Amino acid sequence: MALAQIDPQATYIDETAVREQTSLWQDAWRRLRRNRLAYVASFYLALLAVVAVVSLFWTPYPYYASPVIVHGHPITFYDPPLKHTILGTDGFARDIFSRLMVGARISLTVGLGTQVVVIALGVVLGLLAGYIRGAVDSVISTVINIFYGIPNLLVALVLVLVVANGKPSIVFIIIAIAVTGWTDMARLVRGQALSLREREFVEAAIASGARRNKVIFGHILPNSLGPLIVQATFGIPQAILFEAFLSFLGLGVPPPTPSWGSMASDGFHAMQIAPFVVLAPTIALSLTLMAFNFLGDGLRDALDPRQKR
Amino acid sequence: MVSRGALVYIGQRTVLILFTAVAVSSIVFLAIHRIPGDALLNERHPDPTAEAELLHHYHLDLPLYRQYTLFVTNLVFHGDFGESLVNRGEQLTPLLLREATVSLEIGLIALIFTIGVGVLLGVFAAIRQNTWVDYTLTTTSVIGYSMPNFVIATFLVLVFSKLMYTWTNGSFYVPEGWDGTYGLLSQIPVPAFALGFPYASIVARLTRASMLEVIRQDYIRTAEAKGLKERVVIIRHALRNALIPVITILGPLTIGIITGGVVIENVFNIPGLGKEFVTSIITRDYNIVIGVFTVYAVLIGMANLGVDLVYTVLDPRIRY
Repeated sequence: MALAQIDPQATYIDETAVREQTSLWQDAWRRLRRNRLAYVASFYLALLAVVAVVSLFWTPYPYYASPVIVHGHPITFYDPPLKHTILGTDGFARDIFSRLMVGARISLTVGLGTQVVVIALGVVLGLLAGYIRGAVDSVISTVINIFYGIPNLLVALVLVLVVANGKPSIVFIIIAIAVTGWTDMARLVRGQALSLREREFVEAAIASGARRNKVIFGHILPNSLGPLIVQATFGIPQAILFEAFLSFLGLGVPPPTPSWGSMASDGFHAMQIAPFVVLAPTIALSLTLMAFNFLGDGLRDALDPRQKR
Repeated sequence: MVSRGALVYIGQRTVLILFTAVAVSSIVFLAIHRIPGDALLNERHPDPTAEAELLHHYHLDLPLYRQYTLFVTNLVFHGDFGESLVNRGEQLTPLLLREATVSLEIGLIALIFTIGVGVLLGVFAAIRQNTWVDYTLTTTSVIGYSMPNFVIATFLVLVFSKLMYTWTNGSFYVPEGWDGTYGLLSQIPVPAFALGFPYASIVARLTRASMLEVIRQDYIRTAEAKGLKERVVIIRHALRNALIPVITILGPLTIGIITGGVVIENVFNIPGLGKEFVTSIITRDYNIVIGVFTVYAVLIGMANLGVDLVYTVLDPRIRY
């Protein structure tokens, strides 16, 4: 190695040599950690994920029924916070903190689940449209454009009525949001594929005899991962918000399963008697959406340093 | 200003909007009629002749294709959406038109607020870049678009009805929604703010970014070198060009405000289209669901047309 023979005092050469070897992902990780807001946001989200998993096995009190007696005190409805339980109880004397935990699970399930479906649909259709072009592109682009003009919430509401008969399950909500939300992802991936297919490394891959599937999934997809991850990160809060909208309107996951949206709705109607009921779910919802948005901002800056803010 | 080409363009677009409306209503009509059971299933019918009469009245005794042709001919030639299934005898067309104007009222005020506040804050953040003004505004905007509009609405109602009730003497406080069809002047600001605030944050971010780009260009320096006042340079020279990227999100913005209206109208009990939409889904008044969805399609088409016309005003390079 030529580098080893150079005067050891000239360490700066060595350093630059090491720098050049860092991959895009290591580089991005370094930049992401330097973004304090994104760092804090990811800690918050990790905590939320832990809470969501824990709520599968354990909540302080049942989320679907009143604890009745806590430390020898009978619990009534609208029990104020910090008196007997941490966040008080709601209109059915159920523990708000337990319901908040389960609500976190519902929100994260909907957010992540939707993005899994969106990525599966959007990436495949976007890659096909952008790489093959021609008639395939025309059909997919037309569908994207039709969806683009229709408000997602209205379509989802009609789907809830027509397909789920007004009582959607979580899986149905995930599908309803994904069906109306895959177009952004498809549009992004299509654009990436359109520009990447003209680049030299794709030409080289084709020239060296790579099959079409290999080119699409082995060369074009990995190179568009950065924007894809950013888009998915911004898609999660949108889906969570959407589920909260549906639940707030009374057309989300049916009770007694708590969703932050339906808890906020309950609290809103009880605002004059017990204003604290509405605070916990709305604050949790806002913090979570904010955390995902900060993380998305951080990821965008980290993965695409050339892009201007 | 309005050329013949523009008029032809507007005519074509209007025809397209009407065509879309019929297509959308057909899709919803057919989708809803494949739900098992008819719309009157929830009721008890002790008298079979009365039930048959009722079914006949709503043409529900006819085969589906006859129902459909009747629906489309009534819609196209008479502008008639039929009758409400829950409130018997209530004609839907006047009802929907009235509700559309209520939604338009609150939506337009929210839109004006969104653009006004968003652009103002964006410009401020841009000309005071990297000062505390800028940092405060950019952080607020992330918080703004992370907060769902019903959360903002909740906090506003909490503030005005609970914490500041004696101080404001009850103004802006909406106990049971609007009295009358079109709210009072004191009732409009809170829902309009809640509806527009998330989008105002987005507009502010966009304005700031494009403003930062524009004010570094040569013609701005020329304008400053001529000795024009900063205010004149910003408003007359920079803002006009900085607004073009902002205009591009007007389409999604309008759709967002229409969607947000569904939630906000339910929060504040505003008797508009969004409230009717959710109520009709819950009470299964299928005729209203079809009608509301169609009116929404028309509104969105008109909003998009309006946005395209605004382009031509701001950017003379675009002609139709």
